[in-house]
Amino acid sequence: MERISTHQFMTLGAAVLMGTTFLPVASIATGAGGRDGWMSVLPGFAMVIPYSLMVLSLLAQYPNKNLLQISEALLGKWIGKCIGVIYISITGYFGGLLLSQCGDIYERSIMPLTPLWLFYLGGLLLVFYTVSSGVEVFARFSEIVFPMIVIALVLNIGLSIPRMEQGELLPILSEGLKPIFSGAFKIMPFAMEYILFLAGILTFLPNSKKELAQLKNGVWRAVFLVGILDMLVVLIQILVFGPEEVNRLVYGLLVLGKIVEISRTVSGVESLFMGVWLGASVVKISAFFFTVTWGLETVFGFKGVKWNLAVCAVFLGIAFGFVRGHSLFVEITLVDDYLILPFASVWIPILWGVSRWKKGAGVQ
Amino acid sequence: MKRNGCRVGLVLILITGLLFITGCWGKREVEELAPLISIGFDLGQKPNTYLVTGQYALPNKGAAGAEVKDWTMSFEASSLREAYEMTYKILNRTPFNGSVKVIVIGEDMAKAGFKDMLDFTQRFSEFRRTIYLVLTKGKAQDVLNVKLRNGEMPAMSIKNHLEQGDELSSFPTVRLGHYLTILGRKSTAPIMPLVKSIKSGDGGIEYKAEGKDGAEEIQLEGAGVFRGDRLVDLLTDEETKGYMWLENNVVHRFINTVGLEESKVNFSAHVLKSTTKYKVADTNGKIELQYQIKASVAVEEVLGQNEQLSETEWVELMKGAEKSFAKVIEKECELSIQKEKQLNLDFLGVGRHIEERNSAYWKTVKDQWAEKIADFPVSVNVEVTVHHSGMSNNSVINSTSERQE
Amino acid sequence: MRSWLKMIKELTIRPKGERQIRKSPSYSFDEDMKKPLSGIKVKEILGSSSDVVFREFFIEGKERIPCLLAAVDGMVDKNQLDQFILKPLMVDLAGHSEVTQLTLANVVDRTLQSILPGLEFKKITKMEEAINAILSGDAVIFFGDTTEALVFGARGWPSRGVAEPITESIVKGPREGFSETLRTNTSLLRRKIKHPSLRIISLKLGNLTNTDLVVTYIDKVASPDIVAEVFRRLGTIKMDSMLGNGYIEEMIEDNPYSPFPQIAFTERPDVLAGKLLEGKVGIIVDGTPIVLVVPAIMTQFLNVNEDYYQRAMVAVLSRFVRYLGAFVAMLAPSIYIAVTTFHQEIIPTDLLMSISVGRQGVPLPALLEALTMTVVLEILQEAGLRLPKPIGQTIGIVGALIIGDAAVKAGLVTPLMVIMIGLTAVASYAIPTFDLGLAVRIIRFPFMVLAGFLGFFGVSVGLYVVTIHLLSLRSFGVPYLSPIAPLRIRALLQDTFVRAPWWALKRRPQLIDVEEPRSGKKG
Repeated sequence: MERISTHQFMTLGAAVLMGTTFLPVASIATGAGGRDGWMSVLPGFAMVIPYSLMVLSLLAQYPNKNLLQISEALLGKWIGKCIGVIYISITGYFGGLLLSQCGDIYERSIMPLTPLWLFYLGGLLLVFYTVSSGVEVFARFSEIVFPMIVIALVLNIGLSIPRMEQGELLPILSEGLKPIFSGAFKIMPFAMEYILFLAGILTFLPNSKKELAQLKNGVWRAVFLVGILDMLVVLIQILVFGPEEVNRLVYGLLVLGKIVEISRTVSGVESLFMGVWLGASVVKISAFFFTVTWGLETVFGFKGVKWNLAVCAVFLGIAFGFVRGHSLFVEITLVDDYLILPFASVWIPILWGVSRWKKGAGVQ
Repeated sequence: MKRNGCRVGLVLILITGLLFITGCWGKREVEELAPLISIGFDLGQKPNTYLVTGQYALPNKGAAGAEVKDWTMSFEASSLREAYEMTYKILNRTPFNGSVKVIVIGEDMAKAGFKDMLDFTQRFSEFRRTIYLVLTKGKAQDVLNVKLRNGEMPAMSIKNHLEQGDELSSFPTVRLGHYLTILGRKSTAPIMPLVKSIKSGDGGIEYKAEGKDGAEEIQLEGAGVFRGDRLVDLLTDEETKGYMWLENNVVHRFINTVGLEESKVNFSAHVLKSTTKYKVADTNGKIELQYQIKASVAVEEVLGQNEQLSETEWVELMKGAEKSFAKVIEKECELSIQKEKQLNLDFLGVGRHIEERNSAYWKTVKDQWAEKIADFPVSVNVEVTVHHSGMSNNSVINSTSERQE
Repeated sequence: MRSWLKMIKELTIRPKGERQIRKSPSYSFDEDMKKPLSGIKVKEILGSSSDVVFREFFIEGKERIPCLLAAVDGMVDKNQLDQFILKPLMVDLAGHSEVTQLTLANVVDRTLQSILPGLEFKKITKMEEAINAILSGDAVIFFGDTTEALVFGARGWPSRGVAEPITESIVKGPREGFSETLRTNTSLLRRKIKHPSLRIISLKLGNLTNTDLVVTYIDKVASPDIVAEVFRRLGTIKMDSMLGNGYIEEMIEDNPYSPFPQIAFTERPDVLAGKLLEGKVGIIVDGTPIVLVVPAIMTQFLNVNEDYYQRAMVAVLSRFVRYLGAFVAMLAPSIYIAVTTFHQEIIPTDLLMSISVGRQGVPLPALLEALTMTVVLEILQEAGLRLPKPIGQTIGIVGALIIGDAAVKAGLVTPLMVIMIGLTAVASYAIPTFDLGLAVRIIRFPFMVLAGFLGFFGVSVGLYVVTIHLLSLRSFGVPYLSPIAPLRIRALLQDTFVRAPWWALKRRPQLIDVEEPRSGKKG
């Protein structure tokens, strides 16, 4: 049985939580929160903490089981299976959309003439290789990629400082607190994607008492790390572009990469940054690939390379269904807001509640 | 163990297979590219057309290494992409937009509005948001076609000039990104530096012209003020300088006090450092914007000083100089503020400053801001510090006999 | 036509019996080995080899005992035989007090106990032992038809002395290196670690070659799991020949398909000692100065022992240079290709112009140009490697200077490409380990192809594939990218990219799960 350490859980969680959120986050946060949108990022991400803690407390109660198995145990076989099917379809669909996004960002920003399917295949190849190497390798991969993402983001942010406009952040809170709440509500689905992954990775987590505490710690750290980084990303974009422009740009960070200039000669380093963003994208898609395979294994008992290839095919199919970049963007937002957010925010509390109730009633 | 190896092999075969299925995707060899350095926009002859001028730098193998040939051409087209299409038909290389440095906007075009032309440059990924925007008196085509006497390409010359703008701080440096951000602020009016080609004899500048009547130098002076994407008016050199002070854009400057007052002794100085702060003062409900400029200068010329001064006298003189410089700066700023009120156009960003500092008040005036600019009180307070007066204190004076006259 | 086919068949397919013998030539040999020990039989088996010498003589004791001394000429020290065997038995014995009691039954024990003065005498009773001893360079004395014999360790053959190793030259530090003789090597190691917990365990491998090898580790420092795994893997090796470290290396490495070296090697006793003290296991093979060290991790191939002799600050700088060099050696050509064919926006405009001018009239596209140049580089390297030193230099001059310069002048390649390839070559010499250098040379090619077709996207995909591959590699159970992923923060900060000063290195590295403090006390 593969196991990942608590530290790996932290970086893996952070990498999955982060994923490629740093690309659209600014446009979404400022779209809802305007000039103060940056303040809504951290609360939005922090919303995931109670959910994660609920999931981890379920882990303590049912060690070595993933959330789908726990659902079957708690809610009965058929309801559990139903949940499993929903889980698989949501994560599978979303994974395919993310693959499509990976191609979209490349085609849009640096390689407009290269066929889209190459990006899909390249990305999928990496995802497939990661997934077939197993969770341990995936965890180590995130240990390498996540620091790279952080460094690239910090570099990108740091190098854009000379392009900052005066006083774009001011006035602070001129519209009151309302924009922050609506922004946070828009950010929350990002965090909920992580919960779906957490639901599956449970089986691979250590579950002694001491390590559980460390896992909880890991959740806190991951959420704050990612929240703060994403907040900085939004902040710098508002500072450089102004809220109106951030809202108008599709992937503000890519534009930010384009305006980086090092001593007025070296510019156009966005293609280097893109390499790192590809890694982030691979981590995120792999996470959803994993959730699908776990789901298939738990619900139907499907397992092995054959099914992995089938999932690949489905991902590719979904990606090819969304070659229109603009509708892809809308679709991702829709899935985030109307599938992932409601599903995760209903499923987890119910499970947790039922387990508490059963424990209290002494049924178990 | 073995399966892992197979997997690596499989992956490698997959990759190579993938690569050799078809040819090269979106690949362009460097020598096939024609780096575009600058684009100029003018209005076309026919209605709804534009005259797009592209300035390319075509590298060629010369006798002694690299030689860059200037290849400038204008196309009358209804969209920017159409102009590119026409270029493709003539030029045997692919235009490469990643190297665009400057966009030059002709006066007519600026008056008619250039939003549509700019759309391509802010949308297409090859263009950078760091491209400089300049306005030109007359046609952009003419500026880009100037044969400079030093052989440089006009666009490169403008770009290099703009990049050294901090040395003089007498014209604003506007990049595409900055312009778009200003547009996004809504209340502020964009501004752009003004480029003009000059002939020998224009504005007190003379040189030995090689051609007969063509302009052979390019000058950056003044600026143009826009309402959105439409040119409203041009600022004079002094008004632009005032704008630079108020915007806290002055890094280094040369200033002199000649013509300021009746005083016999005049100074010129090098501004070493300058900061402008502003605050929105609320005195009994009367809102006022107050600028506070602090500049440090080094006196570099003392004109009309005919007497040997003692050390204390020199100190007094320099104190006087500080006041004179402050007056000069104040005058420039006042001119700029007057212009703003006269045009009813907030290119100084006064409204934005109010919003930043007093957003509650701003909400009440936001909608009628265009009418309110003219009456809104703005004050400027300048403080100048003379750091030193160079390597000598006293001036060189003529012989004593002359002094006695 | 038919006869032609038949001929090929005859040539390619050998008769069955012959093949069997080829497959297992030791077949008849094994029979002999199982026979009872006797001098006559040994003479029968080995007598046909001209290099084995036999000396027959008699001991005049209580009864006349026939003796037979057997040894391989050139492998024993003849002086020692004369002095410690022949002289005591033939000359000194006459005056010895025990001479009158010697019989065929007790001669072996008596001579061993009180007559033969040498240090390395051993009694043996098996045929196999006798034969092996003779062939390994020892001398064996047989007494009449008794089934016991005495082995005298008098090995002495011409061997290379302890010299400075060629592959790992060093500026500041010890200069001795291992040689081909196993005993010399173990003694060199023992001189570095004078502690009873240093284990040196002998094995023999190779059915025909009977190669001696030694597994060495420090008890309680090396993880018992890893030691056990080393013995398990060595035990599974079934080979006729074992002529060098490379044989073992390929037999015991974890992933034979990986281009990356998974077993480290060294020629230096100080390096081996250092690795053993970190908890690793060394395998010393007789006949080669190269010692294998397992488990190996990626970063170890980029660190050299000199780092520990230099001051920490210098070591950090030179490590940084080495890591940078490895990166450049792997990626420089592919980055050049990607930048010039896909991402021209990254090139400053002035440089773009000069590259463009340089490329005008060059017939090959950038990818092919780079590939050709790299292949030429490889040919030059390979050509220079095995030539005698004076000629090797000529290759360098002819290849680099004349061909390169002429190619540029003739417009076949761009000057910038020559610079790029030169840079790559120089950078690859900054990789201290030969094996890793080879790996980098191999994967450079796929990277160039990827860059040529897909630009930086291709390069990133390639990099991630390599990363995932490295992450899934293990060397004797230790993850290959160990201190980085899985992260061991202490090992990473102390001795991976940087080297902390010795006073800060209180604990042993964590990668092999031993948590004992380095100094022996809880630090």
